[in-house]
Amino acid sequence: MKQIHPTLLRLLLFLVSFQAFTKDYIVSDFGAKNDGITLNTCSIQKAIDFIHEHGGGRLVFESGNYVTGSIYLKSNVTLQLDYGATILGSTNPFDYVKDKKIGWMSMIFAVNQENIGITGKGTINGRGFITANNMVNYIHRGVYTDPLKYDRPNETNRPQNIYFRECKNIVITDITLRDPASWNQTYDQCKNVYVNHITVDSKSYWNNDGIDIVDCDGVVIKNSYFDAADDVICFKSHSPDFFCQNVVVDSCVGRSSANGLKFGTVSRGGFKNFKVTNLTIFDTFRSAITFAAVDGAEIENIVVDGVRSINTGNVIYLRIGDRWGKGKKPYMKNITISNVYAEIPLGKPDAGYNFEGPIEDLPRNISPASIVGLLENKIQNVTLKNIHLVYPGGGNPLYAKRGLSPAELDGVPQMRDAYPEFSQFKELPAWAFYVRHAEGVHFENVTFTANKKDYRPAVVLDDVQNASFKRFVVEEPESAGKQQVFPYKSSAIQLN
Amino acid sequence: MKYLLSVLSLTVWLGFQSKADDYKASMFGIKSNGTTLNTHSIQKAIDFIHEKGGGRLVFYVGRYLTGTIQLKSNVTIHLEEGATLVGSTNIYDYNLSVRFPALITAYSADHIAITGKGVIDGQGRELANNVTDQVQKGILKDDLANDRSARWRPKGIYLRECKNVELSGIVVKNAAEWVVVCDQIDQLKIDKITVDSKAFWNNDGIDIVDCKNVLISNSYIDSSDDAICFKSHDATKMCENVEVRNCVARSSANGIKFGTVSSGGYKNFKIINNKIFDTYRSAITIATPDGGLVENIFVDSLFAYNTGNAIYLRIGARWNKGRTGSMKGITIQNMYCEIAEGKADAGREYEGPVEDLPRNISPASIVGLPGQYITDVTLKNIEIIYPGNANPNYAFRGISPADLDSIPEMPAAYPEYSQFKELPAWGFYLRHAKQVTMDHVILRAKGKDYRPAIVLDDVQGALFSAMTLADPSKKKKQIHVYNSTDIFLPK
Amino acid sequence: MKNLFAHISLFFFLSPLALCAKDYNASLFGIKSDGVTLNTQSIQKAIDFIHEKGGGKLDFYVGRYLTGSIRLKSNVQIELKEGAVLVGTTSIHDYLAVEGKRGLIVAEGQEHIAVFGKGVIEGQGAGLFDALQKQIQKGYLTENAQEASPAIVSLSHCKDIRIEGLHLQNACGNALIFSHSQAIHMKDVAIKNRALPLLNGIVFMACEGVLCQKLFIESSGKELSTSADCKSFTLEGCKNAAGKLLVFGK
Repeated sequence: MKQIHPTLLRLLLFLVSFQAFTKDYIVSDFGAKNDGITLNTCSIQKAIDFIHEHGGGRLVFESGNYVTGSIYLKSNVTLQLDYGATILGSTNPFDYVKDKKIGWMSMIFAVNQENIGITGKGTINGRGFITANNMVNYIHRGVYTDPLKYDRPNETNRPQNIYFRECKNIVITDITLRDPASWNQTYDQCKNVYVNHITVDSKSYWNNDGIDIVDCDGVVIKNSYFDAADDVICFKSHSPDFFCQNVVVDSCVGRSSANGLKFGTVSRGGFKNFKVTNLTIFDTFRSAITFAAVDGAEIENIVVDGVRSINTGNVIYLRIGDRWGKGKKPYMKNITISNVYAEIPLGKPDAGYNFEGPIEDLPRNISPASIVGLLENKIQNVTLKNIHLVYPGGGNPLYAKRGLSPAELDGVPQMRDAYPEFSQFKELPAWAFYVRHAEGVHFENVTFTANKKDYRPAVVLDDVQNASFKRFVVEEPESAGKQQVFPYKSSAIQLN
Repeated sequence: MKYLLSVLSLTVWLGFQSKADDYKASMFGIKSNGTTLNTHSIQKAIDFIHEKGGGRLVFYVGRYLTGTIQLKSNVTIHLEEGATLVGSTNIYDYNLSVRFPALITAYSADHIAITGKGVIDGQGRELANNVTDQVQKGILKDDLANDRSARWRPKGIYLRECKNVELSGIVVKNAAEWVVVCDQIDQLKIDKITVDSKAFWNNDGIDIVDCKNVLISNSYIDSSDDAICFKSHDATKMCENVEVRNCVARSSANGIKFGTVSSGGYKNFKIINNKIFDTYRSAITIATPDGGLVENIFVDSLFAYNTGNAIYLRIGARWNKGRTGSMKGITIQNMYCEIAEGKADAGREYEGPVEDLPRNISPASIVGLPGQYITDVTLKNIEIIYPGNANPNYAFRGISPADLDSIPEMPAAYPEYSQFKELPAWGFYLRHAKQVTMDHVILRAKGKDYRPAIVLDDVQGALFSAMTLADPSKKKKQIHVYNSTDIFLPK
Repeated sequence: MKNLFAHISLFFFLSPLALCAKDYNASLFGIKSDGVTLNTQSIQKAIDFIHEKGGGKLDFYVGRYLTGSIRLKSNVQIELKEGAVLVGTTSIHDYLAVEGKRGLIVAEGQEHIAVFGKGVIEGQGAGLFDALQKQIQKGYLTENAQEASPAIVSLSHCKDIRIEGLHLQNACGNALIFSHSQAIHMKDVAIKNRALPLLNGIVFMACEGVLCQKLFIESSGKELSTSADCKSFTLEGCKNAAGKLLVFGK
């Protein structure tokens, strides 16, 4: 934990210096119109270039609606969106650039810039539903080339709201991000990213991730609210040579039709030195927390303290896989998760939202939280402390069944190269926690509650070495005397 | 007298409408949220009311999304103030199995009406763009003449072969094609409606096709194509006994137009006390290019401001299939018109197309065909103000026999006042006309014009009296007569 | 004179354009005729697409097509059908320059290009100049107004250019600028360039093989401006607003 503090300090210092030199320019002075109709791409770009060339400052968007296509933010320029100001994405896909280096489309790009920001109480609205559908039309007409996998354009052929790459000292505060055609905001190989008090409200199209941090060093995300169709706060590692590291996530609230806090899916380099505090996830289809190392990622020193997971399909999913690692050996170790309260619903937690998460991996009863490594790559040293998980229970073996016989337990597929989701194994043999291929898993002051009787035990350990359960309580109706922890091929298991 | 009777009979049957049961839209599960597609619920409501013997389907404040609905006999759609019927932008929500798809339709119904202060909004631009998209993808077949679909774009309201129809009070907006169309209706009353439609190409305001006993009154039309338009699609039918009174109109085409399709023709019209403004083409165009008969048209008190042209009367021979179009008995009196120097509809989203260049400002024109004279035209107490300033180096048509004969006859062309490009007069051009009377006609050009005010070519019988013709050039001869007989000019 | 003409026509008939030309409707690329949608990138996409397919013609039918600068590419023709108006936006930052000269239609180093038809190109010069002046006053544009004013057509180092039948009106700068270009054929074009004072009709700089036939040029400045190093220049039946025949080099 000590390693976190210098990061924060550094960011704060840079923030102070950031505020000092601001000179304000008004975007309408450059001819941009706030009528919601005029396409202002060229005027806004001109303004950014001008401010950049004249020592920097803030480009102020006063209240009104400013339509734009792709623009590139430059060093020492901050976009200040006043209360009531909205940057509207053009709905014409041809108004967006697919950056050659990045390989994605975006409304606001920055590449190799420093001291940049987007601030203020205004909004960025990608209007992505319309843009994405317009793109579909051009693809069908043969004017744009895309395989239309899943009957939608590839996410790189749909504009994000923000994509910053290889930038330094980024400040994103107070703004609201809405409805891109792809991810909302990506910070890729950036240093010192400070995100505070932003709102993401985005259920407009597939792959609407809330925030994506890719291979960044020094990140603070706090006091922010996310409601996104895809993963809420998502850390990725696209390059085997880079990590996401030195990251603080504090006091964020999220909802998603995928995962709350996620490492992966693309996870080549790794994730190190994270501190996540006071996280609330609700109405979320998949897991409140998913850490995936499926492409060779190294994951270590992750502290999660304080999680409320309400009406969320799953609470914790830790997974090592072997998908695109190309021989790079993944690991996941030293994970501490504490002070968690979770309520898992019987029904679909994101029912009624636009772009609901896809119903997959049926038939299965409610899935347990899971820690699943690989036979040769075990997840190491996981501590779970002060945890209360409330499940609906009621697993019906006539609908889906995975019993406890060696054949059945060994029958849980390894799925080394599959896309990692908590539901991927279909029916699992436990109703609260399933652990497989792990070393050193420690439960302390943990309560698992099932509201109805389940045919499965609470916990199954398969190939787990060195596990302990202290102050461990299982509550399940009509189940007195049931063996709630079932070890298999495991050793050094200490129960209470 | 004949008209008076027909108007009287209109008022008589309107009295009948008063007793009718009201049904609230919500009773049929119709939703006012703007997103629920109500097509089938509204249709159920109409069918239900129709089967119960009639009544009003009442929409209160809200937005009611719908596709094609069909009105049935004795049913009134009543839109309370704040209620908007919103057309779906999905073309497949419209009935495409008919020749003319539309949002609101009726076929062979008796006693139908759309009333109230509410709005019908076709969302025509989005709808039309979606149609183009379906055509570009090859799903809908269309040859995309002029890069837009002619076959599939839905009209706003299309009523066919109905009797006793009333449209009153409503606002009709943004169709993807023509806006309000009444086709072969007997006893039609349109009163106090507003048509506001500059959403897409061919947004005619009101199209009256082969209707009998029509009164259009107290209405306001602002449309990207012809504002008040009479058509005749059927050679065995015609528009007759029509009165247009106290309307105000603006258009990026013509203000009041007869045609273009004019198979049967037009008889017994009274067009009284109307205003036309900011209109790209003519204040009034009467055209019969398709063999139709035009007879007994009376225009009184027409005021036109900032329009591209004042009057265009034209016989053509386009789709007439051997029949001969004719035009006789046209009276226009008490007219005042100011012709625009620039583009009268500049700044509108679908401005009228800039065509037939190069030409200087075109004159009002009466143009028949050789041997097919426009006959018995009376123009009385008329004042037209022109900008003048024609530049002969930009476009030139002199008054030598060779120049005048070089003006093409263009029998098969689409009839517009600008079709001949440069014309040899700045005020009035007459060709192939008989028995033309002009009394108290004032033509004034503000700037010098190289052309005379009036050119007559093949006019047989003209009596001009009490005429004022003036441009700043002070040229002596403002009337040029060519190839004509029995011409009596003022001294 | 005859030699000269033969020399010019050689350029024109070498053009392989007609062979592989395919026609594309503007609507295929989502280009809107509503007069308010800024179509710049859609038109550019269309040009690039046609260029990559080996050439062809982009057809604009009746309507008003708002746009900023578009870059013409080799073997691409634009036809403005009767009633089609290409309308230049009044936002100065939407204009690109070639060799320092902004234009609504620009091209650099392209060949076999054409813009023709019975349509109109409207420069909205007065409104554009207003916007331009404001940017200069605020210091956001450093050029002087004359340098910065966009032409309607600005071509540089191009070869085999045809401009025919159009009405070009109300440029913010000179209506057409050709520099270091060869084999230029202009025919039946009417230019009305009076939105602002002292604007020329057509400017030729270091061009070779120019044939202008039946042009009407009405401008507030000179109708034609030619640099001394222009070669092989033919004017046939071109006149100004006063009806005077235009002569090379005057």
